[in-house]
Amino acid sequence: MAGLAASFGSGAMTNSLVDLEGSDTIFIIGSNTATSHPLVATRILRARENGAKILVADPRKNQIADLSHLYVRHRPGTDVALLNGMMKVILDERLEDTDFIKKKTEAYDAFKNLIEKVDLDAVSKICGVSVEDIKTLALTYAREGSSAIVYCMGITQHTNGVSNVKSLANLAMLTGNLGKPGTGVNPLRGQNNVQGACDMGSLPDVYTGYQSVTLGAANKKFADAWGVPELPTKVGLTIPELMSGIEKDEVKALWVMGENPVVSDPDANHVIKALEKIDLLIVQDIFLSATAKLADVVLPGVSFAEKDGTFVNTERRVMRVRKAIEPVGESHQDWKIIQDISNLFGYQMNYDSPEAIFKEIAELTPSYAGITYERLEGQGIQWPCPSLAHPGTPILHTDGNFARGKGMFHAIDYKPPAEVIDEEYPFWMTTGRVYAHYHTGTMTRRSKSLNFEVSQGFIEINPADAKTFDVKDGHRIKINSRRGEIETRVKITKRVEKGVVFMPFHFEEMNVNKLTNPAYDPIAKIPELKVCAVKLEKV
Amino acid sequence: MDYKNTLTTCTYCGCGCNFFLESLDGRLTGTIPCKTGPVNEGKLCIKGWNAHEFVQSDERLKKPLLRKDGELVEVSWDEALDFTATRLKEIQKTNGPDAIGFCASAKVTNEENYIMQKFARAGVGTNSVDHCARL
Amino acid sequence: MIDQVKQKINELLSQGSVKGVVALAYAHGHAGPCLFQKGDDLDALCLGDEKKAGDVRYPLNKVLITLARQYPDDVFGVLVRGCDERGLYGLYRLKQLEPDKVVPIGISCPRDLALACECKKPWPDDMTAGEAPNEKESGGTEQKGVQDVEGKEQPERFDFWKDQFLKCVKCYGCRDICPMCFCYDCSLECEDLVSKGDLPVDIPTFHLVRAMHMADRCIDCGLCDEACPVDIPLRLLYKKTAEVMNHEFGFTSGINKNEISPLSLMGPMPEK
Ligand code: SF4
Ligand code: SF4
Ligand code: SF4
Repeated sequence: MAGLAASFGSGAMTNSLVDLEGSDTIFIIGSNTATSHPLVATRILRARENGAKILVADPRKNQIADLSHLYVRHRPGTDVALLNGMMKVILDERLEDTDFIKKKTEAYDAFKNLIEKVDLDAVSKICGVSVEDIKTLALTYAREGSSAIVYCMGITQHTNGVSNVKSLANLAMLTGNLGKPGTGVNPLRGQNNVQGACDMGSLPDVYTGYQSVTLGAANKKFADAWGVPELPTKVGLTIPELMSGIEKDEVKALWVMGENPVVSDPDANHVIKALEKIDLLIVQDIFLSATAKLADVVLPGVSFAEKDGTFVNTERRVMRVRKAIEPVGESHQDWKIIQDISNLFGYQMNYDSPEAIFKEIAELTPSYAGITYERLEGQGIQWPCPSLAHPGTPILHTDGNFARGKGMFHAIDYKPPAEVIDEEYPFWMTTGRVYAHYHTGTMTRRSKSLNFEVSQGFIEINPADAKTFDVKDGHRIKINSRRGEIETRVKITKRVEKGVVFMPFHFEEMNVNKLTNPAYDPIAKIPELKVCAVKLEKV
Repeated sequence: MDYKNTLTTCTYCGCGCNFFLESLDGRLTGTIPCKTGPVNEGKLCIKGWNAHEFVQSDERLKKPLLRKDGELVEVSWDEALDFTATRLKEIQKTNGPDAIGFCASAKVTNEENYIMQKFARAGVGTNSVDHCARL
Repeated sequence: MIDQVKQKINELLSQGSVKGVVALAYAHGHAGPCLFQKGDDLDALCLGDEKKAGDVRYPLNKVLITLARQYPDDVFGVLVRGCDERGLYGLYRLKQLEPDKVVPIGISCPRDLALACECKKPWPDDMTAGEAPNEKESGGTEQKGVQDVEGKEQPERFDFWKDQFLKCVKCYGCRDICPMCFCYDCSLECEDLVSKGDLPVDIPTFHLVRAMHMADRCIDCGLCDEACPVDIPLRLLYKKTAEVMNHEFGFTSGINKNEISPLSLMGPMPEK
């Protein structure tokens, strides 16, 4: 989000999903697409069928890597080095799109100076990828035709996640692969409505549609619309800041809706301590999650099947959610719970339906101004959609007209991850998903079919490491990081390299986030879930 | 006999697949992918195909819970809502609006996110509203 | 055609000879499966021809099974194409539906759809609307897709299928959409046959276990093909299986109303 916004002026996926089918080259980095976004894999595999070249870079050899034309296994946390290496090759071979760079971008010189100094042999050593492979990656991406970049949490969940994303934006701008069909920089959203939560202003610095809380005009507009004399102009706290605020006794109450930070956030032991300490913890959820167990009050909301409303998918498409059955037990509509509490609290709200709320959103949000429930029937609408007559926007930044004016190059040097392996903690650990589960597992693990597929957590280790520790498939192993210890089941596989282990994070009882590092990207505040250092011990 | 297919959008990943939730007499019986859904064109992944299964799980919370003598016990909605609003008001008065934080969600709808941040900003008077999943 | 279908549904519902009719209806800009009951508005009815004939088909027989399991004493009407009617015959044989509890409302498929499907029976025996083309004209019986793959050398054929199976994301969509899949215990979930928990699936076991299990059931509707998120040509695989069944046992699933499967161990072998 933050990285793309700095480069292009908008943090969303630049192109449409169906658009990927027409790409000539697709570069997938840090995305286990077939597992985490299977319906995006559909488009990628169709492009492959049409003759597109598929390039994959990932520390773990995932399924889409099996199907690629070139797969490189770079070490966890070395994305910037790899990308800078590729851009060095592109400059050496004079494959940059000079016309695009001149007309549509700025700050190119500083970027170019930095890239020219990149030493490919050094990059090769840092990443553990041969110079030849770096060259092939670069030359294939920069060749004639349209090239698209697809990335996911493997890029963003790092202390240098924003730098990673900016580097991807650099790569796309350098080769003019933006604003046209089959191109773009395309983040895949991990959860169904990440895009919508951001669009709606569930962020400490913006109202809906990314209107800044510090901007006088926006501040006044919202104060007027919401019928209050003034609104706070100070940027609020992010979740990690809220957690440390609790420790410092500055934050006394937290209202958590539909989330499970005890399992999803890094350094779980630390999160639990904070939530145990806080004066008032309100949890609104459909199950008694690990977080709800710590609450002072638990408010039962409803699932997607029991409510009306809208979600926004990864390609900015606003789509309807419709109520199929009555709420389970005495659970209440989530919007109604908030409205009731607001009224008791003393701030009056009287919506009669989600549609009424949506109308207000459209009135206050320029990029949603033309969207109504009625217009969402059928195919939904991709924002920006500024007026009732506007059809929506499948591709952003067409003809290089960036939301921020010109595309911005950033000169970015490689920095190692916040925690690196050493003698005591000699293994790189990385985390991710399995095909049958989703996020913290609160929903999928209560699904009979999904739990049947994968019922317990595990750790993937390379056959060579398994031999060293004398463990076989199914054996138990203890994993320690500087923050905690867990025990889990061994799964031996060549998907991970010697010295690297992988664990999925859906399993509360073997919560991998007891191990992960809460070091955050300084700008996006995304935790470094993807790399930490661990040691292993046979049980 | 009440057999229905309700067109909706998947609750799991960000692809945004459309499917019908199939229900018979108020029980969800299945998921059927929408052939004309713009993203999925009649296809789903394993999570989507089973998206109906968790909904009517026995483990669903059916009543509000309030911590009394260290234990979470079932209470009426009136009691739960009253408690929540009163305590929030007390904390806002004693410690100021920025002593209250909100964690909205990438799992709930736009409308629900909107109304939560509106309450945080206009009701309580703080910008400390965030959601857990920062991509 | 749609008017004849509406008329028939109206008749059935107003006479009270059926409890409801399973068909397709428009809502929210999309066609989807629907149960029409007495007094319902038939204006929303559609036949599943969106951009092309038959491009929006749903497993209506599967909906019927769901209803019949809950309401075994009631009679239901159901909209059927040729393949769906073959499906009904198969489901009667497999004791999933009772013939006297089902009133089929048959529609024929146009020639271009029949050709694209290489369909052996694009019109139902029991037809409410449309015309049965004469057999020669329909031209759909030639199984060119299968022949093309057969024409390849063995190693090439092997690579072709391996590459296809490697894409599988184990969504089970091929099973879940299939109107002929109704088992409570599915062989794809039998751990002695197929391992679970990882991608890609066991190659070729996963796909061949399903092909085997469908050998005397598949009615070549193609819905699995359309539901596969990674475009594996599943129908082609099952067409080949059907060809083997036909060649070895002279059996084609659902072609005859009172068929007996050569794979039903309890029954007598049919005459070849
Ligand atoms: S069905 Fe699967 S791919 Fe589609 S939105 Fe749901 S989780 Fe994502
Ligand atoms: S074609 Fe596919 S969906 Fe149709 S009956 Fe055969 S296996 Fe089932
Ligand atoms: S529908 Fe396709 S991807 Fe899904 S299980 Fe069947 S073959 Fe695999």
